[in-house]
Amino acid sequence: MIRIRGVTKEYDRRQILRGIDLSVDPGEMVFLTGPSGAGKTTLLRLLYAAERPTQGEIWVAGSRVDTLARSELPHLRRKIGVIFQDFKLLRRKTVLENVTFVLRVHGIPLREAHRRAYKVLKRLGLHHRQSALPESLSGGEQQRVAIARALVYQPRLILADEPTGNLDADLASELLSLLCDINYQGATVVLATHDHALLESLPARTLVLRRGGIDYDGMWPP
Amino acid sequence: MIRHALAEGWLILRSRGLISPVLALALAIPVSLAGVTFSLRQWLGPVIVLGDRDSVVDVLLHPRLDDAQRVRFISEQARVHRDWKLAAVAPEELAERLASWFPYLEEVLQREGPEMLPHMVEITTRDPQSVLDLKDSAEVLAVGPTSSVNRVVGQVARRFGLVLLLVAGALVAGAVLLAAVWIHLELHRNAEEIAIMRLMGATEATVRGPFLVAVMVPALLAAVISVALTVVAVGWMAQIAVPLGLAAKNASLAVLASQVLGAVGLPMIAAFITLERHASSEEG
Repeated sequence: MIRIRGVTKEYDRRQILRGIDLSVDPGEMVFLTGPSGAGKTTLLRLLYAAERPTQGEIWVAGSRVDTLARSELPHLRRKIGVIFQDFKLLRRKTVLENVTFVLRVHGIPLREAHRRAYKVLKRLGLHHRQSALPESLSGGEQQRVAIARALVYQPRLILADEPTGNLDADLASELLSLLCDINYQGATVVLATHDHALLESLPARTLVLRRGGIDYDGMWPP
Repeated sequence: MIRHALAEGWLILRSRGLISPVLALALAIPVSLAGVTFSLRQWLGPVIVLGDRDSVVDVLLHPRLDDAQRVRFISEQARVHRDWKLAAVAPEELAERLASWFPYLEEVLQREGPEMLPHMVEITTRDPQSVLDLKDSAEVLAVGPTSSVNRVVGQVARRFGLVLLLVAGALVAGAVLLAAVWIHLELHRNAEEIAIMRLMGATEATVRGPFLVAVMVPALLAAVISVALTVVAVGWMAQIAVPLGLAAKNASLAVLASQVLGAVGLPMIAAFITLERHASSEEG
């Protein structure tokens, strides 16, 4: 599902990632961890082609991402569900519209899109806030809308950047079980976190990033 | 796709409130002023042409000349001055002209008859001053006018027309600048939303559609306002200009069509360029 070879990323001559080699098989669940500034978010951004690497090759879902033409980006991104650290909700749209929007982009008719969006929102306990605008939601609620949006079209790959950062322990655990369900159904999940409790709660392949390189790649707890 | 663009574009417009009509008005003003200025330039056309025309100098011949002497005089002048065009004007024709120029003379002219008037020769020349030499000739009573007033008026009108064109150009440049700033600010306002849409896998058409609709609606409004302002302003100015002898007409269709194209086209082009640059910078 993901293949990375010799990837380096620099900002203003400062190396954020250096010579990353990585392979993630379809259906795998991978935790990405490491201290702040280790390059977790940058690595995820490279995977959904928000940025291009300074060097190296990146393959995601059969597409070579680092050389992908701009016109091909939507096709790649429709295969990926991204849960952003800063939520990235559309401010002028309600909760339901935010979730529906992604399905509309995929060409799903409005009525069907509403039905699916409502179902996911209900599962995340947000159906009663479907008409609210993002600014009226708490941080945790906004986080859940972002999660609902990423999961609603059942993508083959889910990239989650600190998805539990604004959730309490119960909701974090509920989210993890949701991602596990999706993973059991065949989706690949890459979850970036520095929440040790989350890492301890589920034995899974874990990549530890440190100073831009992969310091550890194996099951966690070791 | 179009329904999505219209619906989302309407949302953007609604969120802007009164900003859209104000922007439309701001764009309409330079566009309509450019149209008015260009129309004024068109009115000057016939006056500018005067600058290229030859002057006509009237030469009144002495009454004592008989027909043969007059013919000889005209032939002699035509032979010496090959660049002159000479035409004899009989007293009857001169009487008619005088009666039309000075209606109060009509009664006297009818009473006394054209016999009281001298024969005249009309000389068409590029250099009216050269005819002045005939004043000392024994066959000539009077010569005039010998000033190059037509050419001077024509040259002044040409320069004034050039100034008007420059003003129109500056106004169009102002409209271009306004459109560019407007679109840049608009994109800046919606940049986050556009970036999120792209990250969600929206195609460029899906991303740009609503934004272009939100630009096109005020642009169309600006086109309507500028055409209306131009028609009213040019019509009003024509009422003043006609008595001054200018060939004042209503605003031409070409000017109005250019205004519509400018008011709609400039923001749309600016939007396309800005969106393209935004997409490229995001990709980078």
